Amino acid sequence: MTVTLQQSTTSGVLEARRLHNEKLARKADQTRAAWFPLALMAVLVALPLLQLTGNYNYVLHMVLFTASYVAMASGWNILGGFAGYISLGHAVFFAIGGYFSGMILARFGVSTIVTAPLAGLVAAVIGYLIGMVTLKVRGPSFIISSIALLMIARILFDNWEFVGGANGVTLPVTSLPVLWAKIPYYYAMLAIAAFSVWASYRIKHSKFGLGLRAISKDEIKAESAGIDTRFYKVMAFALSAFFVGMAGAVWGEYITYLRPNIFLIMPIAVNLVLMAILGGKGTVAGPVIGAVLIVALNELFVAMMGASELNILGTGLVMALGLIFFPLGLVGTLARRGKLPRVLNWD
Amino acid sequence: MSELLQVTNITAGYGDGPAILDGAHLTVEPGKVHCIIGPNGAGKSTLMKAICGMLTIRKGDVIFKGKRLNGMRPDQILREGICFVPQERALFPKMTVRENLRMGGFILNDQKELERRIDGILERFPILRERADQHAGTMSGGQQQTLAMARTLIIKPAIVMLDEPSLGLAPKVIQEMFDIMKMMSAEGVTVLLVEQNALMGLKNSDWGVVLDLGRTLFEGPAEMILSDPRIQELYLGGKKAA
Amino acid sequence: MAEILQILILGLALGGVIALMGSGLSLVFGVMRIVNLAHPSLIIAGAYITYWAFKLLGVDPIVMLPVASVIMAAIGVLLYRLMLERQTKSAKYSEMTVLLTFALAMVVEGALGGLFTNTQRIVSPDYATDAFFIGDLFIPKGQLYAGIVSLTIIVGLTLFLKYSRLGYAIRATTQNREAAELLGVNVNFISVLAFAIGIGLAGAAGSLVSFVFSFFPAKHGEWIAMLMSVVVLGGMGSILGTVVAALFLSVIAAFVGAWIGATWSTLTFFVALFLILLVRPQGLFGEKPEMA
Repeated sequence: MTVTLQQSTTSGVLEARRLHNEKLARKADQTRAAWFPLALMAVLVALPLLQLTGNYNYVLHMVLFTASYVAMASGWNILGGFAGYISLGHAVFFAIGGYFSGMILARFGVSTIVTAPLAGLVAAVIGYLIGMVTLKVRGPSFIISSIALLMIARILFDNWEFVGGANGVTLPVTSLPVLWAKIPYYYAMLAIAAFSVWASYRIKHSKFGLGLRAISKDEIKAESAGIDTRFYKVMAFALSAFFVGMAGAVWGEYITYLRPNIFLIMPIAVNLVLMAILGGKGTVAGPVIGAVLIVALNELFVAMMGASELNILGTGLVMALGLIFFPLGLVGTLARRGKLPRVLNWD
Repeated sequence: MSELLQVTNITAGYGDGPAILDGAHLTVEPGKVHCIIGPNGAGKSTLMKAICGMLTIRKGDVIFKGKRLNGMRPDQILREGICFVPQERALFPKMTVRENLRMGGFILNDQKELERRIDGILERFPILRERADQHAGTMSGGQQQTLAMARTLIIKPAIVMLDEPSLGLAPKVIQEMFDIMKMMSAEGVTVLLVEQNALMGLKNSDWGVVLDLGRTLFEGPAEMILSDPRIQELYLGGKKAA
Repeated sequence: MAEILQILILGLALGGVIALMGSGLSLVFGVMRIVNLAHPSLIIAGAYITYWAFKLLGVDPIVMLPVASVIMAAIGVLLYRLMLERQTKSAKYSEMTVLLTFALAMVVEGALGGLFTNTQRIVSPDYATDAFFIGDLFIPKGQLYAGIVSLTIIVGLTLFLKYSRLGYAIRATTQNREAAELLGVNVNFISVLAFAIGIGLAGAAGSLVSFVFSFFPAKHGEWIAMLMSVVVLGGMGSILGTVVAALFLSVIAAFVGAWIGATWSTLTFFVALFLILLVRPQGLFGEKPEMA
């Protein structure tokens, strides 16, 4: 038996260990393009000028619709992407925002555009309270609790006579001419969307955001590093509810009625998750790109097949294939491969 | 040259992650106790997992009794006679001690023979016999480790690999674990051990292997490794390297 | 008094069926840590198989039960191979499977809806509308038969898990996957097997559901939270616990429905889920933090 005591020295081993560790480390790409979202914003702000040349209500509607989802998906991303708590029940806050501002509009005639921030706040407070209960658990348990939340809210709203029960409430129609009817809501939703993207960027780069990301990686370690994980999580829940609630407020007046089967439905809750995950959970640009993609895809499905059953089938397939082949989402997958175009790096 | 198991220059890692092992080799002689030491993250546990088929080996060979084990499934390697007891959680906590032993002989087809062997084990470990119908999860750490080690004997393996059997146990109990290990060795079972406490591990072994940075740095008789100044300095808590 | 007894009987009979609906879910979670949100939609798929067999060929739903479960089990193998097997390496395995099975539920709902529309359906063999009378009490035959068949299947499953060699392997894999693998259990095979059994149970439950509840493709949404609360209250992975919880909750739901109003009876299950969250902060399934 030969003894293989190799001739090596102490410093040699230490040097080798250092090189070994360097080999394992990955280098991160740090370039970002802040000009792109700003330029995009400028184009969208100028877009209603099109109305001077003809009726482009459909275009405005699509942008508004997409913007509402950008706001909601970005809001969802604060909890689902940064903190890693996936909620399939965020449609609840869409409804809370919509109903709160909508009822004020119906009773006192105050536009939802004015009360939207207040609606967001109400949604945030309720989110905070719900989070106190459901955020005790994580992973699958949390996901299921969020589904149950949506179910409970649906039953409650369906039976709440004050807000019209299952029939809902009809809201006053705007007195603006058809060509300009969409404009106030268009700018309101655009502002909400821009605000949520900006806020999501600020949160990601704050100490708070760092704490949330630590929680999503390893909650126990985050806690032992001195992060008040409970407070962080609940705050993330409240913040995410805030943006979803604001979008809901304006959406209610825009479509002129509140009804549980419009606000409290699974497809809305699923869309938020789908957009954030397919776009790139935990990134700033991800939910935006996801929203654009899914809205476009939905339009395509409806135009092609019409039937809502096939629409569900299509959404399910896209979600499954996306999860299997791009678990990190478009932005995440491209970034990992080092192929993320600079215009999409907003982090 | 009468090696039982020969590991030559293997490269392995988890999934498509970086290679944790890169150039590890190992010679196992029949009947002896072998101890693998090295710092955290050196690849000690990974080496054992690679041998027992839980990781895909990317390069290099694992030869057991002249047969190449690369690419075989864990259950196939077990049938060849190599048994691995992973760190800490090797038991089925909601199964009784007897059921755990029965799982130990899962690959045996003769149920009567299996029951006979279980009775034999219970005979030899009175502490397990007393608790035969108790859930394994309710036993103390030392008792659980005893069960995990005793369970390997059911299939009469050629090699038993133990990943830190002393982890989380009181010093007095640790010595009991080493005693069981020596008993296994005396019965002709070859033991391969990973030990965080390098000094204690080497003192209870015949052969030592130093693993660092995913490769084997030194291999030799345990007492030789214990007395080597470089190893003392790097791995045995001797004076700090400059 | 008679009223109370009557409600109790109806609650227990339904609970028997709900127990079978939940047991497959529990088994699949126990062995593979998969929270299968598609389970209720697969139950509905099983119900459609039974429905068409009855409608087109006149086959009795209970006779159709083994066939439906074998068909669904085969589909289960396919689904596992196609979408879940490759997830075992994922760091966020549990979460991924929740999202994937949710997507699957949508695919199943959409496919069934596209094929059969969202019309309410129910299979109506003679016994489904018949009842036994004991004094003032009546026991609907359909629900009674369904409850008995359901509990028989569950007892069979429990014996299989407790005493057969494969049952040992399944239980061992549930408790410690790595150790089971190291003792020679082919855990991949066991996973496929357990998933197939779980989906087979969904098929069996579908056959029973087909003549107990009216169903349509989108109905599964209501069942997800109901089954989750049952399985969670029973201790995820424990079949016996699932049975007890199903009986318990459906009796309560029956009382809520009779005394407060039918709308609120479904709420029982959701509220139960929330209450469990309040008293079990360690998680519905007792999962370790890093597992989530």
